[in-house]
Amino acid sequence: MKTKVGISVFIAAAGTDPRFARLVHRYLLSAVFWLLAGSAVGLVVAFRLVDPTLFGQSEFFFHGLMRPVHTLTVLFGWASLALVGLGLYVVPKASMVTLSHGEIRAANVALWLWNAGLVIGAAALFMGFSTGREYREIPWWAMSFIAAGDLLLFTVFWRVISRRTVKGIYISCWFILAASFWIAVILVVGYMPFFRKGLANTVIEGYYIHNAVGMWFTPLAVGLTYYTLPKLLNKPIYSYALGVLGFFTHMVFYTIIGTHHFLFTPLPDWIETVGVVFSVAMIVPVWASTGNFLLTMKGERTAISLSYSLPFIFVGVIAYGLVSLQGSIESLREVQEQWHFTHYTVGHAHAALYLFVSFLIWGSMYGLVPRITGREPEPAMVGAHFWLAFGGMLIYSVALFIGGDLQGEAWVERLPFMESVRRVIPYMVWRSVGGMFLLAAHVIFAINLFKMRPGAFTMAYESQGRK
Amino acid sequence: MRLDVHTSLRTFFIVAGGLYVLLVLACAILPAASMERQYPITQEWVDPRVERGEQLYQSYGCIYCHTMQIRGDERLAKEGPDGTLVVPVLGADRRFGLDEPSRAEEYRNDDPPFLGTERIGPDLLAVGIRLPSAAWHYWHLYDPRAVSPDSNMPGLPWLFHTEDTQQPEDEKVAPLFDLDVPKGRLYATPDAQALVEYLLSRTRPESRR
Ligand code: HEC
Ligand code: HEM
Ligand code: HEM
Repeated sequence: MKTKVGISVFIAAAGTDPRFARLVHRYLLSAVFWLLAGSAVGLVVAFRLVDPTLFGQSEFFFHGLMRPVHTLTVLFGWASLALVGLGLYVVPKASMVTLSHGEIRAANVALWLWNAGLVIGAAALFMGFSTGREYREIPWWAMSFIAAGDLLLFTVFWRVISRRTVKGIYISCWFILAASFWIAVILVVGYMPFFRKGLANTVIEGYYIHNAVGMWFTPLAVGLTYYTLPKLLNKPIYSYALGVLGFFTHMVFYTIIGTHHFLFTPLPDWIETVGVVFSVAMIVPVWASTGNFLLTMKGERTAISLSYSLPFIFVGVIAYGLVSLQGSIESLREVQEQWHFTHYTVGHAHAALYLFVSFLIWGSMYGLVPRITGREPEPAMVGAHFWLAFGGMLIYSVALFIGGDLQGEAWVERLPFMESVRRVIPYMVWRSVGGMFLLAAHVIFAINLFKMRPGAFTMAYESQGRK
Repeated sequence: MRLDVHTSLRTFFIVAGGLYVLLVLACAILPAASMERQYPITQEWVDPRVERGEQLYQSYGCIYCHTMQIRGDERLAKEGPDGTLVVPVLGADRRFGLDEPSRAEEYRNDDPPFLGTERIGPDLLAVGIRLPSAAWHYWHLYDPRAVSPDSNMPGLPWLFHTEDTQQPEDEKVAPLFDLDVPKGRLYATPDAQALVEYLLSRTRPESRR
């Protein structure tokens, strides 16, 4: 049975600056808001791929308008805000310092800038201002808010790490600080006014898409886990050197593989080949981290089964290894002919951002947040969240893997095009079923997060006059 | 000097940030610049209606379901009769009525090019050749299932008017088979006309800008 730690968490949170607890919790509240909004939109898109006349024929529900709103809200709203919110927890803790009031204020401003960018961006998309470029659809004047928020966060991380009271910079801080710099470069390159036309734009697009997932979400999620996992298991990471190897190979390989999204296009052959070769080489950094985490978890079966946060991390770590292996395979020219352009890719995208990134977020969140807020969620509710999310995403992604494969097979076998449309409809239904599980999981998660709000103990900090 | 990324924040940042920027230059900026130098943007006159249609294609996000690229396998390129390299079309793409893969210069003026990453609907690189009838496109955009029963493409009925709501600048849509809206005839708004104009302009290779 999962036990409720209750009282010890209450004590652990003692002495936490309530402003700090509220800051982290506020980031997570924003994140869960965007998650709920984004998955509701995603579900509408999913339903309408089964029957495009559902919910009426209004412009508002048009696939091409709603889909970028879905990706914007779940990527830049949910995953980004949750990851940096937890980063604001991990970086000071791993540096053994507390956030100053100025830093807390700056991080709060960053959150507002970020949310403003999302609201303006989503409104702009519905009004038809899309730039027509994947994951950077929102106009530059909306993305500037998010970029400004990121720069503020980068300065906060920088200042905290330079004030650290330990000698070494822990690897989590490496990943998080570096990612908040890398995303700034990514946004600048993605939005600069050069190379907007023709295949020059396509080169930039490949770079942008892949670096957004690989140099932002992935390093943040991996960085968090390097802190949370040893913390929750109360032992050091299996091999620090392996982590260092993972960091540098990740940085070099992941940056240059974007063209695997554009194989067989008129781009020069050499740059496509670089993309493929280093996609396969990605096995090194991915398994350096995955293996490291798994070896750290070795022999901890009881701890995992007793905890409500470790199962999330366990799934997230395994998913990281597997979806990345899947990605390496997907990038081979031999399979691209059949799988590219199909729902298989969408399955990979969700398996990665959900089973890997989102599960690691949840693991860290359930494991860390009670330690500063003094309040825990109901273990049964966390269990419900886990199983609905896990089961839902299994249905979702397996349906898309099978459906996508059949879709591509229809093309390779030169059946009439409509055959590929008809074939995938049952799988679109299954995906929507999985999606409904996910939405239910997200509602439960929102309740759990509310339960974890900063508690009475942290309030006492203020009344004692400790500032 | 010893590179100590573990204890010096500055050294770490110079390595992680500097190396990253260099890699971005080498693998994104330089290749993009070389593509642009090789296939420079040309200034050509474009029908404003086609341009408006292109804009609508972009803002309605048709790109999430339609590609505009015919893939070719450069590794199997052979010398053709006139000495130029002929790249064969990839098997899965040999269905859209084209026997030559996309060429870089076809996209040189497109801002952005609509190569696309998903193919829920057919490729539209040369839809103007395959489907040259404006009436077909009007009916299809008004209600895709009317002309293609199993389609899961959503319609864009708000781009059309009926007898009651028609405006002076609307164009009357010719009947197709025996399709008709219950209220009488269908009228295409200027936006619908522009979108169809754009689709019809997608022909290869001469008339592509
Ligand atoms: C949800 C995905 C989806 C979206 C969004 C979408 N389409 Fe389609 N489209 C399809 C499918 C599926 C077909 C094939 C069935 C049919 O003919 O309706 C298709 C067919 C077409 C065809 C006929 C092509 C042929 O060769 O038969 C044209 C033209 C077309 N779409 C134009 C558009 C335009 C313009 C837009 C944007 C306003 C758009 N589509 C948006 C899915 C989509
Ligand atoms: C209820 C949950 C969700 C549902 C029902 C859902 C549904 C969808 C649908 C229908 C699409 C469009 C696919 C297409 O055009 O074929 C999509 C795309 C996408 N979604 Fe979700 N989604 C959900 C949650 C999420 C979450 C939580 C994330 C990220 C953290 C996410 C990330 C993405 C991405 C990245 C794409 C683009 C995929 C691609 O271009 O290949 N989704 N989603
Ligand atoms: C080393 C590991 C990985 C490799 C080699 C890889 C490879 C690929 C390839 C080849 C595609 C393109 C598929 C196609 O269009 O046919 C793709 C798509 C995608 N991948 Fe990965 N992947 C990896 C890990 C990840 C991770 C960790 C994430 C998320 C955090 C992710 C998110 C995505 C998304 C969102 C797409 C869809 C892009 C689009 O809309 O076009 N991938 N991946």
